[in-house]
Amino acid sequence: MAKQSQGRKVKEAKGNRLLVLPIYIFTLLFVGLPFVYLFLLSFLKRAEVWGVDFTFTLENYKRIFSPMYLGNFADSLKLAFTSTICITLLGYPYGYIMARMNKQWKKRMLLLILIPFFTSAIIRLYGWIIVFRSNGVLDKILMGLGLTEKPLKLLYTYPAVVVGMIYALLPFMILAVYSSAEKLDYRLVEASRDLGASSWKAFWTVSFPLTLPGLLSGVVLTFVPSMGLFFIADLLGGNKIVLVGNVIQEQMTKGRNQPFAAALSVVLLILTWLILKLYRNIAGTSELEGIF
Amino acid sequence: MKKSLLILLVLLLFLTFVTGCGNKEQEKGELNLYTWDGMFPPEILEGFEKETGYKINFSHFDYDEDMLAKLEETEGGDYDLVIADDYIIEVVIAEGLSQKLDTSKLKNYEQYNPVFMSQFYDPKNEYTVPYAAGIPLIVYNPAATDVEIKGYEDLWNPGLEDNVALIANYRVINGITLKTLGESFNTENLDTIKKAGEKLLQLAPNVRVINDSNTQDFILSGEVAAGFFYSSQVVAAKMANADLKIVYPEEGLGFGIMASFIPSKAPNAEAAYAFLDYINKPENAAKCYEYVGYYCANKGAEDLISAEMKDFLVLPADAAAGEIIQNVSAEAEQLHSEVWSQFRNACE
Amino acid sequence: MKKTFGHKLTIVYVAILTVLTYVPILLTVIYSFNESKLSTVWNGFSLKWYRELFRDSDLWEALLNSLILAGSSCLLAIVIGTTGALGMHGRKSKADKAVAGLSLMPIMIPEIILGMVFLAVFSFMNLPFGMLTLIIAHTTFCVPYVYSMVKARLVGMDKAYAEAALDLGATPVRVFFDITLPLILPAILSGAMLSFAMSFDDVVISIFVTGPKVNTLPIKIYTKVKTGVTPEINALATIMLVITALLLVGAAFINKIGVKEKSEKGERK
Repeated sequence: MAKQSQGRKVKEAKGNRLLVLPIYIFTLLFVGLPFVYLFLLSFLKRAEVWGVDFTFTLENYKRIFSPMYLGNFADSLKLAFTSTICITLLGYPYGYIMARMNKQWKKRMLLLILIPFFTSAIIRLYGWIIVFRSNGVLDKILMGLGLTEKPLKLLYTYPAVVVGMIYALLPFMILAVYSSAEKLDYRLVEASRDLGASSWKAFWTVSFPLTLPGLLSGVVLTFVPSMGLFFIADLLGGNKIVLVGNVIQEQMTKGRNQPFAAALSVVLLILTWLILKLYRNIAGTSELEGIF
Repeated sequence: MKKSLLILLVLLLFLTFVTGCGNKEQEKGELNLYTWDGMFPPEILEGFEKETGYKINFSHFDYDEDMLAKLEETEGGDYDLVIADDYIIEVVIAEGLSQKLDTSKLKNYEQYNPVFMSQFYDPKNEYTVPYAAGIPLIVYNPAATDVEIKGYEDLWNPGLEDNVALIANYRVINGITLKTLGESFNTENLDTIKKAGEKLLQLAPNVRVINDSNTQDFILSGEVAAGFFYSSQVVAAKMANADLKIVYPEEGLGFGIMASFIPSKAPNAEAAYAFLDYINKPENAAKCYEYVGYYCANKGAEDLISAEMKDFLVLPADAAAGEIIQNVSAEAEQLHSEVWSQFRNACE
Repeated sequence: MKKTFGHKLTIVYVAILTVLTYVPILLTVIYSFNESKLSTVWNGFSLKWYRELFRDSDLWEALLNSLILAGSSCLLAIVIGTTGALGMHGRKSKADKAVAGLSLMPIMIPEIILGMVFLAVFSFMNLPFGMLTLIIAHTTFCVPYVYSMVKARLVGMDKAYAEAALDLGATPVRVFFDITLPLILPAILSGAMLSFAMSFDDVVISIFVTGPKVNTLPIKIYTKVKTGVTPEINALATIMLVITALLLVGAAFINKIGVKEKSEKGERK
C-alpha cells in the first residue's frame, strides 16, 4: 500500500464516517427495530382467540425442536442446497462468459436474462404449470417423439419445485458473477497462459479465485431467499413439500400463532447465518469481507 | 448517463409528490372497500360509482387473518366496508373493531335471507349483513375414475391413488375427516382430533395437490379425477365441463358465510351504507352471485339468477342443516395445525 | 485464442439457457390470445382480453403506483447501499459488521413475517399506511442487493487510482465522481436492476404495509390470479414484457455513449 500522509488519513476516516451514516440510520431504524420486535414476539404466548398474551414463555422454541418441525427445516435446507448448487452450475458460466464478451454481446446477453425478470414471477410460474401439467406442453412433446406413452405426472413433484427455484433466482447468480468477473484483469490470465498454463488451469488458478467474491455474493443472494420462498412449493409442489416458509406462513394466517411464527423465523435466521459463516470459512475469510 | 439518472430521480420524486398530494376527491367522497378480489363484477363497481358519485378504492387481502391484523393496527380506521368470513368476524366484533349497523339506513333490509342471519358471530344481527355463503363440495370426473363418490369417505378409496386435489384449509379438511368419524367440525376434544389425524394420514397416498386457489383447473386439465373445493370453484368447474359430477357429501355439509361489516372508525360510513344498498338491490345482487359463484343470500335475487346457474347458487333446502365452522380453543386449534403439518409431510 | 470446441459449447449452453428462460413466457404470451377464459383449453385466437385490459383503469393506476414505488425504493437503495459499501470498505469496525449483517436480514426471512413485523412497527411509529410505508418497506429489502453487489466489486479493487488522484490534489468529491463511481457503476447498476425488479414484483410485504388508497400492480395480479388465471392477466404480462424489453433495449442504446464505456476504458485502458 502506498504511504499515506497523516492528513489524508484523517480526511478519509471522516469522509467514511459520513458515508456510512445513511445505512446506519436506515438499518437501525427500519430493520433493527422490526427485528427487535420479532425477537421479543418469539418469547410471547398466543392469546386464546386472537393476538398475543404478554407472558414470557420458551414454549415456542421447545415446540420447534420436535421431529416434525425439525423435519421441515431439514427439507428447506435440502431444497435450498439443491437449488443453490444447480443455480451456481447453470449461472456461473453465463455470468463469466458474459463478462468476457465484447460490449455489444455483453448487452445482448444481459438483456436476454433481464427481460423476463421484470415480468411478474407468479405469471412466469404459471407458465411452468402449463409446461409441466398432465397433457401439458412437455407431455405432448415427449409423447409426440414417442419417448413416453402416457402423460407423466410431472407437476407437483420435487424436480418441478427445483426448476421453479432455479427459474426465480438464476438472475441473481448471473448478475453477481458478472459484476465481479467484469472487473477481472484479463492480463493476469493471459500472463499465466503465456507461462504455459492450459486454459483450464489458468481459469482455476487465476480467474476463478478472483471471481469468488462475486460467486459467493451470488450464493448468498440465491441461498438465502430460497430458505424462505414458499409460493413456489405452493404452486409447483402442490403444497406437498412443506418448507419452513410454508409453516411460518400458515402459522401467521390460519394458525393465528404469530409468536410461534416469529420463533420459527428467528431459528431460520440463525440457521441461515451459521451456514453463511460456514461458506465464509470454507472459502477463506479475508477475500469475502464484502459479503457479510 | 449521470445526467439521465439525475433527471430520472427528479422525475420520480416529482411523480411521488404529485400522486401523494394531488388525490382529487370527488364531490361525494370515497368508499374504501376491503375484501378479496373477484367479489364483485366490474359492472357493479362501475355502476355504483356512476349512480352515487362515490369513488371506490378497492383494496384486497389474502387471508382473513391479514385483514384482522390490519384492522387491529389501524384501530378500525382506514376502511369503510369489509367483507370477510364468519369466524373472523366473531373476533372482529369481540375486539370492538366493528360498529353497530343502523338498519333503518338499509333500504332493502328485508331481502336478506334469514337462513344466513342470526348466526354465532352476530346472533342479534347488530353488526353484520350477510353477503354470500359457501359450502366446500366434492366434484369429480366420472370419465376419469371408476369410483363412485357419495361422501367424504370415498376420497379414501384406494382407486383414487394420486388422483385427489384438496383445498388448503386445514379446519375444513380435518373437519371432513372428523365427519367421517361421525364427529362435529367444531369438536374441542383433543383425543377425537388426534384420532381424525391418524385417519387423515391414510388419505395421503391419494393426494396429488393441495391448494386454495384456482382449484377448478386441477380437475379441468385432467390433473386429478376428484377434488374437494370451495363452492365457487366447484361451480366454475361445472360451468366449464357439464360432465363433471357435484357431490353433496352424505356425512353432512360444512358451510361458511361471508358477511359485511363497517369498521368502528370507518372514515366514510355513509358510503358503506350506500354500497350495501346498491348491491342488495335484487337485480344487482343476482349479477354478483352469478359472478362470484357463491350461494345467494338475497331472496329477491333468487328468481333473477339465470336458469343454468340457479341450481348451484340457491341453497338446497336441506343444506341449511349443515354445520358452520367456528373458532375453537387455542389448544384444539394448535392440534389441528399439527395434524395438518403431519398430513402434508406424509403426502410428499 | 482457440475458438473450436469450447466456443461451440458456449453457444449451445447459452442457447439452452435462453430457451428454458423463454418457454414459460412464450406460453404466457400465446395464452393471452386465447378466446376461452380458462387456461386449460384453447378456443381460438382473440384480442378481446387486450380490450378488457385497456378498460380496466384501476390496473393502470396500479401500474403507475408500482413504477413510482419501485423507482423510489430503488433510488433510495442505491444511495444507502452504495454509500454504505463505500464507507465501510477497508474499515475493520465491529459496528460496521453488525450493521451490514443487519441490513441483509430482510432478505433472509420469509416475506410474510417481515410484512407482519413492518405492519406492527410502522403503526407503532405512527406512520400512515400508504406510499410512504411501501417505499420504506421496499427499501429495506432493496438495500442488500445494492450493498452486496457494490461491496463485492470493491473487494480487491485497486485503490491506487484513487490514491494517486488524491495525492495529486483532487478533492474527494472529484475522486468519487471521476474514478470510484465509474469503477463501481456496473455493480450499482446490477444491484439497482435487481432492486427494481424485486420491488416491482413484491406482493406479500406490500399487502401488509399498503393503505386503502394505494394498490400496486403485483397485488392486483396476485389477487386476480387467486380467482383464476384469465387471459387478461396473460395479456397484462405480455404488455409488461414488451414495455420492459423496449425500455431495456432503449436504455442499452442510450448507454452506448455513456459512462459505461468510460468505466471500461478506465479499467482496462
